[in-house]
Order: sequence, then C-alpha cells, then structure tokens
Amino acid sequence: MDVLAAADDLRRRTLVEMTQPLERLIYLASTRDYNTGLYYHDGLALRFSEEAACEALAGCHREAFEELVDASLEELVHELEAYLHSTRVAPNDFIVAWKGLEPYRVAVPVGIDSLSSELVFSNLKVALAILEARLTTRTRPGASRHRSPVQ
Amino acid sequence: MIGLLLYLLVGVGLLVFLWVLTRRKGAPVEGCGRQFVEARQALRTLQLGLLPENLIQRIFDREDFRYVMAVSPANIGELFLQERKRISLMWVRRVRCEIRNLMRFHLNYSRLHAKLSLLTEIRLALDFALLLLACRALRILLYMRGPYGAGALVGVLTAAAGRVCAASEKSLAFLNPSALESFRRSSAGDGAAI
Repeated sequence: MDVLAAADDLRRRTLVEMTQPLERLIYLASTRDYNTGLYYHDGLALRFSEEAACEALAGCHREAFEELVDASLEELVHELEAYLHSTRVAPNDFIVAWKGLEPYRVAVPVGIDSLSSELVFSNLKVALAILEARLTTRTRPGASRHRSPVQ
Repeated sequence: MIGLLLYLLVGVGLLVFLWVLTRRKGAPVEGCGRQFVEARQALRTLQLGLLPENLIQRIFDREDFRYVMAVSPANIGELFLQERKRISLMWVRRVRCEIRNLMRFHLNYSRLHAKLSLLTEIRLALDFALLLLACRALRILLYMRGPYGAGALVGVLTAAAGRVCAASEKSLAFLNPSALESFRRSSAGDGAAI
C-alpha cells in the first residue's frame, strides 16, 4: 500500500514535469545505485520509507521503459528532440555524446527482456541518425566550439 | 550353415538392441524439479518477453519504415532496415530457442506429471513441428527479404506458439502460486511445510 502511495506521490510531484518517457527514464535511472541496483530518493524516503521509495522508483522506471518499447519511431524522434532541448546542451555535442557513449544502455530497468531493450536501443540509434541528418541540413548556430570528450 | 549364421546375426542384433535399450536414459521421476523451473522460465519468457502482441507489432510495423523513408536520406533508411532485420532475426532465434526448451520438457517430463489426452499430445507434437519449421522458414525469409518480407508467416508462428504456450501452461499449472497455496493449505493439517 505504501508503495502505491509513494509511486502516486512520485508521479504527482516529480514526474509530472517530465512529459516524455525518455526524460523520465533517464531521470529514474539516475536515482539507481550502480553497485546495488537500489533506487534512492531522499524526499520520497522521508515521506514513506526507503523500501517503499525504492519500489516506487523501480515501478515508475519500468513503466517509462515500457512506454518507450511501445513508441513508434516517429514518436521516439520527437521524444529525443524534446529531451535534447530540455538538456540545454548544444545539439551537436549531445548527438556526438549519445552516439559515442550510448548512455541509454545503462538506463534499462532490471527484469526487462533483452529483446525489448535491444529494440529500444536500435530505435534510438536510428532516431539519433535522423536527428543528426536534420541538424546537418540546418544551420548550426547552437554548435559548441569546445571539443566534446567523446570525440 | 547359412541358416545358423543368420540366426547368430539376429541374436547378436537383439543383444545390441537390448544393450542400447539399457543404456538409454529415462526421465528420472525424482530430482527433475530444475527442468520444471526451466520450462516455467521458458514459458514466461515466451509469454511476457517474446510473444506480446504490442512487441511483435512494433518489430514488424511498416509505419516505422514509411516514416524513415519519408523524412531521412537513403543511408538512414538502409541503417533502419539493417537494424530491424537484426532485431527480427534475434526475435526468431529467441522464440526457437524457448520453443525447443519447452519441447524438450514435454518430451522428457510432462508425461510424468500432466494428464494430457492423446489428441492433445498429437496436436502439441504437430504444433511443435510446425513451429520449428516456421522458425526456420522465417529466418530464411528474413535473411533474404528483410524484416517486412514474411508478415503472414509471423502470424502463423505466433498463433502456433500461443497454442503451445497454452498447453504448456496446463502442464505447469501446479507451479502457479495459487496451486502452491492450495497445496500448502491442504498440507498444513499434518504440520508439513513446503
């Protein structure tokens, strides 16, 4: 019961700002400890308990990923573009970093079938290529002048 | 003399046949819990990971291809087709692997525990044969014609896989939490615990 309340609280207070599943996925993955696989959120843990907060974060993380699996390529391109704008990073730097580091690979929740995750990775790869092609056809006023660490 | 030789040959043949029969491994009744758990795992992977309708629709959806061709240059279209082909081949490979796991379980163990009628067993055997054949044909078609070259066969494969999963579900029903719970309740009176 606590977990449901915590998940509801998380959706209403924190995730409501993030309209795109991709944005939610990256955010929720960032609340997970790489060494233990447990999720931490101080505010949520204070209001409920650490266990409930962890379960709620894990549930919402899975939900965001499943939304990405169901998204068409067109939707994914829009989501990626919206996420790119929300990061306020220069678009070219973002694309170089995402193509090189593939940060989405570490954002997969536990228990997801490898085929679903491969489908999402594959779609993101194509979506990045589409965004990159769009950027090269436009002028590049937002391109950063300093070298990207991935280059 | 020839008659004696013939009898001797038949005798040796029978001895070899008997030796082969004694060497054959039968399915052990005890200690096969691992196989049940593996079969359950294969069934879960098929039902939740590989056969959900939305996932299959996503993999083989032509809309994605139309979108890519409409908004991006040809090289991205090629990249998309390569990627989708890789994913669809991965899907067939995984389905085939899990189907083989279930088939092995049915061949070796399910007859010890599930009361399947002869008709159901024959249907199941035909479905397994159809599935393995469909997987092979689908792989060849996907290799040759790409991810959108075998739409009908994908439908046949998923329908047959669904039937096999339903039959396997019956064989493994006693591993469901509700069945375990009823067993726990019925054994509680004797003070036994599972």
